[in-house]
Amino acid sequence: MTVDQLSSAARRTRSTVTADGARQAGRPRVSMTARRHRAFYMFTSPWIIGFLLLTIVPMAYALWLSFTTYDGISPHWTYVGLGNYRELFSDPTTWDSLGRAGLFALTSVPLSILSGLGLAVLVNRPLKVRGLLRTLLYLPAVVPPVGAGIAFKTLFDQNSGAANGVLTLFGFDAVGWMADPYARYVLLMTVLWTAGNIMIISLAGLQDVPRELHEAARIDGASAWRTFRSITVPLLSPVLLFQTVTGVIASVQTIMPLLLAPVGTTGSVTTVPQSNYLYMMHVFAQYFALGRYGYASALLWVLFVLILIVTGIIFKFTSGMVFYNVDPEAKK
Amino acid sequence: MTATSLPPSSPVRVKVRVNRLVLYTVLVVITGLFLGPFGWLVLTGLKTSAETAAAPVHWLPTHFEWHNFADAFNLVDFLGYARNSLIIALLYATLVTLSSAWVGFGFARLDAPGKKWLFGILLGSMMLPQMITLLPTYLIFAKLGMVDTYWPWVLWGLAAAPYLVFLFRQFFAGLPRELEEAAIVDGCGYGMIFWRIFLPQSWPVLSASFIIAFTWTWGDYIAPQLLLSTDRTTLAVAIMSTYVTQAGSPITNLQAAASVMYVVPILLIFLIAQRGFVAGMSTTGLK
Repeated sequence: MTVDQLSSAARRTRSTVTADGARQAGRPRVSMTARRHRAFYMFTSPWIIGFLLLTIVPMAYALWLSFTTYDGISPHWTYVGLGNYRELFSDPTTWDSLGRAGLFALTSVPLSILSGLGLAVLVNRPLKVRGLLRTLLYLPAVVPPVGAGIAFKTLFDQNSGAANGVLTLFGFDAVGWMADPYARYVLLMTVLWTAGNIMIISLAGLQDVPRELHEAARIDGASAWRTFRSITVPLLSPVLLFQTVTGVIASVQTIMPLLLAPVGTTGSVTTVPQSNYLYMMHVFAQYFALGRYGYASALLWVLFVLILIVTGIIFKFTSGMVFYNVDPEAKK
Repeated sequence: MTATSLPPSSPVRVKVRVNRLVLYTVLVVITGLFLGPFGWLVLTGLKTSAETAAAPVHWLPTHFEWHNFADAFNLVDFLGYARNSLIIALLYATLVTLSSAWVGFGFARLDAPGKKWLFGILLGSMMLPQMITLLPTYLIFAKLGMVDTYWPWVLWGLAAAPYLVFLFRQFFAGLPRELEEAAIVDGCGYGMIFWRIFLPQSWPVLSASFIIAFTWTWGDYIAPQLLLSTDRTTLAVAIMSTYVTQAGSPITNLQAAASVMYVVPILLIFLIAQRGFVAGMSTTGLK
């Protein structure tokens, strides 16, 4: 607390005492500041307690399990120290699935941000039907993953799917979309399909760009592309950074490969085509199919540390490129 | 627009018109691509089993098999699963909206040593992949005997969601100071101030938060798949697993019809409440 805040708090306390000193005369006096402090913790405690019990405790539990051979059923499990980690790093499946997850993030995140931004620019034009267009383009983002999974499965069915229908119409051969190597493109399309989400958020950002800036640039003879690159993009940079970070984290958590798997028997990861066997699928396979809770926990912790490193790098790398023109604190 | 003052045949005006035509064509094609998968799902739900397996593709069903929807409803306990989905979605959305508003009020209007730190952790925890905590959480809940009950959703609801806390915090921070000052002078506690003054002011955020949380839970697949048994489970899980023949092969047309019935309520909620929904989504993007 700064000296300024302290003195203002003291002033406030004094004035309260004089204002309703008579009323409070009977009770022990609690200073205004102390009351506010107590109230702050009273209000934030549901989240603090919830965070400790539902996030920190499970994470710690997973960390402990990652040093054991616990499988949930057998009473005989042992402490193996770094055994799981040693195994994990020497397992080619781990590296392959990690590589695929990385590649998936590297392609899906930039592509969906680009398409979301592109859509936002399009529907930001003064069109008669833009309200309707915004709603329709956003709609897929509201469809629950299971609905999307079934829709894409029927759309890319090898025999009766519309995708192959279009291909054969133009004289191409039908493609086994749900198998290697094409399954990865279907997965990518399910992500791009929800670009409306990024569109809506970018749209809000676009509308915050001061009109005068664009007009000034136009008077100076700047081209549309130049204005977009030098004014719109820098002003949108906080939105783009937020989208990049949340996009990377969402891509790690995607369960689409599971939902797209042919005859998706529940919880089974064995039917997921090789090219969609991402890191999270590897965790699920160890966890559900093999019941190796200890090993799966080690995999989860490695993933967690990797995400911390990746987000750290993103923030570090973009620190000079992101431009904050509105300070949310300044609104008060 | 400058074009209006130009003669009809002016090259500038023609260029504007061509641009407009290109723009509309592009938008129509994109919108078609975006609505395509859902349209195909509806069409599949209206076909016969033979048609959903036929090669080459049957673009349109020969007869619209509307009874598929009734069949999908009757083949499995659709209503039971829908009720389960509804219970956990309502339970979670109600609790998490109230708890997040409560916590959001604390972060917006009060302070104490450590507030900056706590707020930093709150924002940081938004970036924590939930999937990573879900598997150990499942093991803990299993030990506590909470598997196959709706308690996990109650606990998650009570614990507030960082995303929604942030939403409420932004809203409450924007309200004028005078709102609480008079109440404080009158000796009103902060709990009362929150309940009587701030909460009634915040119905747009309340409804946005409720809808967002409802949609999350309705759409969630992994948590109910992990925590609930087959007859307690939700529609999301049931649709993936129950529309199969006794031999285990999927009944595509009924699964598609069931998916339509599963997705449409969410789309309707979105269409009815889209303003608040979109506002809620866009404010959070602008940290």
